[in-house]
Amino acid sequence: MEIVLREEGHVSVLSLTGRLDLASGTSLKEEIKKLFDRDCASIHLDLSNVDFINSSGLGALVSVMKEVRLRKGRLTLSNLANYVKEIFEITQLSHIFEIFETEQEAINSYQSVPTS
Amino acid sequence: MPDYLLEYQSVSESEEKMLDDVTGILAAHNIEGELRQAFILTVSEAFTNALTHGNNYDTDKLIKISIYINHNSLTADIIDEGKGGLKKVFEKSPPTLLSEHGRGVDLMRYYSSAVRFRKTSIGGLRVTVVFEMKKNEVT
Repeated sequence: MEIVLREEGHVSVLSLTGRLDLASGTSLKEEIKKLFDRDCASIHLDLSNVDFINSSGLGALVSVMKEVRLRKGRLTLSNLANYVKEIFEITQLSHIFEIFETEQEAINSYQSVPTS
Repeated sequence: MPDYLLEYQSVSESEEKMLDDVTGILAAHNIEGELRQAFILTVSEAFTNALTHGNNYDTDKLIKISIYINHNSLTADIIDEGKGGLKKVFEKSPPTLLSEHGRGVDLMRYYSSAVRFRKTSIGGLRVTVVFEMKKNEVT
């Protein structure tokens, strides 16, 4: 999996490309730990180029979300492919993640919802 | 005899290789769309279970995948050489929304037509996933 990081104001935007599974889920958690080390806890994940996700990938996202919550930050997701969206629905994870249709909508939401 | 017999070492890197191999096999048979996604996901869940719980990353142990393709069904057997795989599958508590593990078996059951878990003669776990196919889903 390729992970590209950029900053949009105080939001760290990570664009993911490829498969989100056991190995890449570990890589993702390591990348995000680096953000935590820099006190960044406003994190957006653009999943538009994620063409595969399994329960290990979902587990990695849940792990990241719990870490973000501990730091009183926010984690948002956008651009889920229909197949990925369906898996979020089946597992009911759509209820606990903030999911946006587009990256821009997600980034705009950080301006109206302050983190503590 | 299976149409394809694949073998992998119990190391993290095998997951990507397995996904590439299975994707290639499905492409060779023009299996696309929802069936392709569901089959790859289901095999991946069984593979991860075999790697982490069954063989527990023991590099002396293999994960074997047999794939059977005919006009009516697409079937895979995923077999590990570990111990206690069945127990680990069925004695786990159901995941909560905030669990990081435990969703794989539910996804396998949701997407496949049938899924069976059996103990092998050496104590490993054999997971069989079956997908019934509609006409023209395979060539």
